[in-house]
Amino acid sequence: MTSALVSITLRALLNRRRTLGLALLGALLVVVAIIYRLSDPPDAQSLDVTRRLLADFGIGVLLPLVAVIVGTSAIGAELEDGTIVYLLARPVPRRLIVLVKLAISWLVTCLLITPAIVIAGLIGNGDVELAAGYAVASVVGALEYTTVFVALSLVTSRALIVGLAYVVVWEGFVSALFAGTRPISIRQHALAWAEALGGPGAAGSADLEFMTAVVIGAVVVVAAVLVAIRRLETVELRGETA
Amino acid sequence: MSTLRLEAVSRWYGNVVAVNDVTFDVGPGITGLLGPNGAGKTTLLHMMAGFLAPNAGTVRLDETPTWRHPDLYRSIGFVPEREAVYGFLTCRQFVHATARLHDVADPAAAASRAIAMVDLADAADRAIGGYSKGMRQRAKVAAALVHDPTVLILDEPFNGMDPRQRLHMMDLLRRMAAEGRTILFSSHILEEVERLSDRVLVVVAGRLAAAGDFRRIRRLMTDRPHSFTIRSTDDRALARELLVTPEIEAVELHDGVLTVRTGDYGALTRAVAPAAQRARASLLELRPTDESLESVFSYLVRR
Repeated sequence: MTSALVSITLRALLNRRRTLGLALLGALLVVVAIIYRLSDPPDAQSLDVTRRLLADFGIGVLLPLVAVIVGTSAIGAELEDGTIVYLLARPVPRRLIVLVKLAISWLVTCLLITPAIVIAGLIGNGDVELAAGYAVASVVGALEYTTVFVALSLVTSRALIVGLAYVVVWEGFVSALFAGTRPISIRQHALAWAEALGGPGAAGSADLEFMTAVVIGAVVVVAAVLVAIRRLETVELRGETA
Repeated sequence: MSTLRLEAVSRWYGNVVAVNDVTFDVGPGITGLLGPNGAGKTTLLHMMAGFLAPNAGTVRLDETPTWRHPDLYRSIGFVPEREAVYGFLTCRQFVHATARLHDVADPAAAASRAIAMVDLADAADRAIGGYSKGMRQRAKVAAALVHDPTVLILDEPFNGMDPRQRLHMMDLLRRMAAEGRTILFSSHILEEVERLSDRVLVVVAGRLAAAGDFRRIRRLMTDRPHSFTIRSTDDRALARELLVTPEIEAVELHDGVLTVRTGDYGALTRAVAPAAQRARASLLELRPTDESLESVFSYLVRR
C-alpha cells in the first residue's frame, strides 16, 4: 500500500519537466562558487563570501524556491487536475497519503538542494564544517518549508503564489527590516541550524537563538502536518462543471 | 449485495442549489442516472462515492455514511468523469498500483484480469498519456474494477467511446450486474440509458423528476403534448383538414408557419397524409419542434 503511494508520488514529481529545471538551479549555485574560486581570492575573504553565498543564495533563494514548487505541487497539482481521486477512492487512511507525500517532497527538495550546497561550500572555501552546517540547515529548512507548503496547497488553490509571496515579501523584506518578525521566518530557523553546526566560519549567519529556532520550527512542522491531514480528510471533490 | 440509500439529500455551492431534497435507493442491477448537463448528476454521484458531504440528508452504503469513510472503498469502484489520469504511467502500471493501494492479494494477476475485462490487453504497456479518449475511459474502468467491488459508480462512462467500445462496455456492465453487483451510471443520452438499464432515475435542475422502470418513464416522455411544424404547398387548406382530426389539439397558422399540437404522437403521424390528400396539398416538411432532451426533461419536471 505504502510502496504504491511512494512510487506514484515519486514518478509524478520526477516526471515534471520543471523538476529538471530546479536541478539546474542547484547547479547554478555550484557554478557561481566555481567562478568565484577562479578569481583566486584570499582565504579569509573567501570564507566570508562562501558563507554569504550559502546563506543568501542557497538557503535564502534556492531552498524556498525549490520547496515552494515541489511542496505545492505534491498534492496541489493532483487536486487541480483531478487525479487525486485515484488516491482518495482507495481504502487508504488519508493521513498516510499526507505523510508519504510530505516525505517524498522533503526528500526530493533535499536531493535538489543539499548536494549543491555541499559542493558549492567546499569549492568556495574548503571549510568542511561550514559546508556540513549548511547542509544540515538545508535539510532541516527543507522539512519545514515543504510541510508548510504542502499544508498551504490544501488550504488554498493559489498556494504557489501565496507561498512565493511569503518567501519574497515576508522573509526577504519584512524580516530583513524588522528584527521582531524573525522568529517566524523559516529562513532564520534554517540559518540558526547553520550557525549552530557550521563552526566558526558560520558565525553571524542567523539573527535567532538556536533553541528558539528549534522550538518554533518543530511547532510549525507539527501544526502544518496536522492541518494537512485534517484538510485531506475533509477535502471535497466537485465535478468539472459543478 | 449492496444498496446505496439517499434520504432527503440536498447539496448547494454557495447560493447555487445543485441537488434539492432527493430521496432514492439504488440496489443490485443497473441503474441509469439520466439528466441534462448541469442537472446535478455529478454532484449526486460524488456524494454517493464519498467525495462530497451532503448539506442536508444522508447518503449511505447499506448502513454506513459514505462521507469520511474511506474503508468503504473496499466495496466501491468509482469512475470519474474528468479525463485526467496519470499520463506518465502505462495502463498496467496504473491498474497494478491501484490494486496495491487496495491491498489486493495478488495485484499483478488482478491487474491483468481487470485489463482483460476492459479489452485493453494489447495496449496495456503503453503510457496512458498517448491513449485515445475511449481507451482512457476503459483504463479508468479497469482501475475501478481491480478490487472486485460490489458497487460500481460511473460518471458518463460512454463519453468519447466509439460504437464498438460502447457496446463492449455495455456488455461488461451487464455481466457485472448479472453477478449481483450494484451498478449506477450517469448519462445525458437517452438511448444509452434505454439500452442498458432496467431502472432509471431522471434528475433535472437538482431534483428527482422521475424514478423507476424505464418503459414507464419512456411513455411519460412520449405521451406528452408534441408540437410539429408543417410545410406544404397549401398550408391553409391543410390546417382546415387537420383541425377536424379529433386527436389534434391545436392548429396555428402564424407568419406563414403552420404549427400543430397533439397529445398522441402516433395519431398525428397517421392523420397528416390523409389530411394533405383531402386538402390537395403536397407535404414538404414535417418537423417536431421540441424533441430536444432538455424539453423532454423540463416537461417531466413540470408534471
